[in-house]
Amino acid sequence: MNHPHAAVSVGARSGADREAIGEGPNPLGVLGIEFIEYATSKPQALGNVLETMGFKPVARHRSREILLYRQGELNIIVNAHGDGAVLTERPVIAAIALRVQDAAAAYRHALDRGAWAVPVHVEVMELNIPAIHGVGTSRIYFVDRHGDFSIYDVDFTPIPTVNQHPAAVVGLHLFGVVQYIGNDRSDDWTEFYSALFGFTALAPDVSFGILPKGRILQSPCHTFYLQLIEPEPGLLDVEDDECLQRIGLGTPDVPAAVAALRQLGVEFVAAKDAAHAARGALARTTIGGAMFELVHHLPG
Amino acid sequence: MSQFQGNIDNFGMDTISLAGPLKSKLSAMRAAGFTQVMLLARDLVGHPDGWRAAVQEVKDSGLRVTGFQVLRDFEGLSGHLHDYKIDIAKSMLEMCHALDCRVMLACSSTSTHASSERPKLVRDLRKLAMLAIPMNIKIAFEALSWGRTINEFPQAWDIVTEADMPNLGLGFDSFHMFATKTPMDELEMLDPDKIFLVQLADFMWQEIKTVEERISTARTFRVFPGEGVHSDALASLVRKLHELGYRGDYSFEVFNDDYQQMPLDTVANRAKKAALWLGEDVLRRSVPLPNAMRLKGRA
Repeated sequence: MNHPHAAVSVGARSGADREAIGEGPNPLGVLGIEFIEYATSKPQALGNVLETMGFKPVARHRSREILLYRQGELNIIVNAHGDGAVLTERPVIAAIALRVQDAAAAYRHALDRGAWAVPVHVEVMELNIPAIHGVGTSRIYFVDRHGDFSIYDVDFTPIPTVNQHPAAVVGLHLFGVVQYIGNDRSDDWTEFYSALFGFTALAPDVSFGILPKGRILQSPCHTFYLQLIEPEPGLLDVEDDECLQRIGLGTPDVPAAVAALRQLGVEFVAAKDAAHAARGALARTTIGGAMFELVHHLPG
Repeated sequence: MSQFQGNIDNFGMDTISLAGPLKSKLSAMRAAGFTQVMLLARDLVGHPDGWRAAVQEVKDSGLRVTGFQVLRDFEGLSGHLHDYKIDIAKSMLEMCHALDCRVMLACSSTSTHASSERPKLVRDLRKLAMLAIPMNIKIAFEALSWGRTINEFPQAWDIVTEADMPNLGLGFDSFHMFATKTPMDELEMLDPDKIFLVQLADFMWQEIKTVEERISTARTFRVFPGEGVHSDALASLVRKLHELGYRGDYSFEVFNDDYQQMPLDTVANRAKKAALWLGEDVLRRSVPLPNAMRLKGRA
């Protein structure tokens, strides 16, 4: 087999029923993040924030109140449809979509190891995107249509006259997602991401950006990170606050990105010094929940 | 607690020891001075107003839920039996989560349909623990003394260690240890942080000769610690666990047909007597331990 992702070992193809073949380092064939989905009852307010961060609305969902924003390689979906769930004004990160080799096989692999399936509700002629439950109320989708024929070609209609592939501001790309977790929960969530997806924990002294707290997990494709953050010691009653808290955007030049985004109207938390300013920055947004962090990082 | 009461905060009753509806059981425990309760899935699903109403009753009682029991015959199945048990497990985890309970008890399989192959048992327990992670629930795996493959706690410990999941640990039941006469020295190998629950019970016989007798004693004739003939062994066990560093909960797992025919407060007061004996005389916890404030949800 000369396939670049020969490590994918799922289902009958793995031959596990004939001989003991261990899993490769990337059992699901994860290739990166296809999109991040926010849910909010105020999609325009979030849309405005995204536009100041350099995103452009490029397409609408065919049957639901869902908009696709994009810059460079990064897709953000703003969902105001809810699917029966109660939407809050404060935007929440409702889902991460993982780009994988084979979505059905990845879904099966995760369920076999104890993931919770999300029941699907698709309209006619829409894609059935398999999903499992993630932290809090969030979901993790598996997407294997990307590149020339993507999920957006099926479920979305391009907004006329809009450039479908707007360039990224100063090389912005997805760096990672920050997840808030309960007390003593780092090991649980590390196990969740490593056993189900093949993430690996980085050494405690490795950090990026300006908010280094917690434990950093690297994706099996080495293209993005998850950062797990427990409450400050001694805080009580935060157990139920587990959620995907913010996304980190990587850029090769943080000060240049900060300057460009300031032009668009983004306010940043003041940096302590120049070294600090080169490592990262934290954007202040006018609406709670949608927080963005810039991190010095070259796209993988 | 006041200075005139004993410290029984580490000890709790199990609803199986009492007759009657859930609400009466909870009030009897509360009235006896207990602060925690071990619940059965049946307590919730058998509630006349539905399981969510039962969850509300538990929350209204102010009692902390020690643990939720019991997932039976889970590991080692395959095909449709495995899928069926996964559904049962998920349903129980959802109820456990609704109770804000952080420990669910699973006991070793007795099923003749279950495989004894170790890798399969390990894989299934890993899967169960994985299902519990998003809900912040720990799985306490207990060796039932009549379990088919796993029937003594050292075996349960081995498999917990091999499965190596942060939220999979040991559920320890004194009855099963005494019934199989597992040596106390075996406790030495346990990691106290991986003991998620200790259940205590005494019984009236010195010897249990057959497996059948073991099952019937376990299900109908256990008594509270200090009431049977194994009091000294129970005291040594609790002291040993304390020395190992175990600081978690002790629940009285007392199935007793006679207690089901007695007024609830009478039974609850017998349980309290047992808790006072263990708390005051055995562990000498006359005052709350320093730094014993519990973070919400810590098992």
